[in-house]
Amino acid sequence: MSSQTQIEEELDLSKFFDNLWVTIVWDDPVNLMNYVTYVFIKLFNFSQEKAHKLMMQVHTEGKAMVASGSREEMERVVTQLHEHGLWATLQRDDHGRV
Amino acid sequence: MGEFKGSAKTGDLSVALSNDELHILINLVEQLLELLGERNFTHHYQSDDPFAQLMAAVVGNLESTIEQPDDPVLRRLLPNAYADPESAAEFRKYSESSLRSVKQTQLMYLREQLVFPVDHELPKADIAVSDPAQWLVAINDLRLALAVRLDIKHDSYELYDLMKDDDLQKPLFAVYFWLGGIQESLINHL
Repeated sequence: MSSQTQIEEELDLSKFFDNLWVTIVWDDPVNLMNYVTYVFIKLFNFSQEKAHKLMMQVHTEGKAMVASGSREEMERVVTQLHEHGLWATLQRDDHGRV
Repeated sequence: MGEFKGSAKTGDLSVALSNDELHILINLVEQLLELLGERNFTHHYQSDDPFAQLMAAVVGNLESTIEQPDDPVLRRLLPNAYADPESAAEFRKYSESSLRSVKQTQLMYLREQLVFPVDHELPKADIAVSDPAQWLVAINDLRLALAVRLDIKHDSYELYDLMKDDDLQKPLFAVYFWLGGIQESLINHL
């Protein structure tokens, strides 16, 4: 492996982790459980099982991470969730950092 | 009432609503549209019904604060995208107006569906639901708005159960839970 390739890989990696953002959905007492499940399936194409599991996580733990990607992607996801009345925010994914 | 029939899959989804129910819904939709700054409709429903007035008094009493971003209903319907206030404000600058207009479009659509039987003076409404997804989101926004005004918590249904019949808030809680039933029924017919 040439040193040039190594440098490029390091650059790519740092870019990757800087760009890792996550979308969090927060629990609220209004949105119905099956409505939240419906929104997850509609927006993320999740299976019924996965959508239900994430909805239950929001319900019991107060929040759940539902998507990850670039900042721009997560801003788009959060906007879609807000359009559907879910309470969502995006933040940098600190766990993904090396 | 407020029961859905048919199914979105077969394209014959409809909902039966009494005149009273229609008027409550239209009233709420129009108040929320106003709160969101939508001016492009004439007030369809003006009622002397004391119940409707009660709704207006509660949901409409903050109409004058439309310009203030700190109205609690608007804060819930157009929430911050970031926990950090600076990033939230920055993002809001270029995103809020489009989010607001999506909500307005959804509610205008629901209003259009609801006023049809009233305009045509039908004795009761059997509304053919043309876009179930928009219905669902619009009803959800009504519930979110009402929940802020009524300070709904996880245990609100238990509190509602214990309310005295002459409690002025009781009919409003009843509408809130009724809307939840409508939404549940709609989801079951998708």
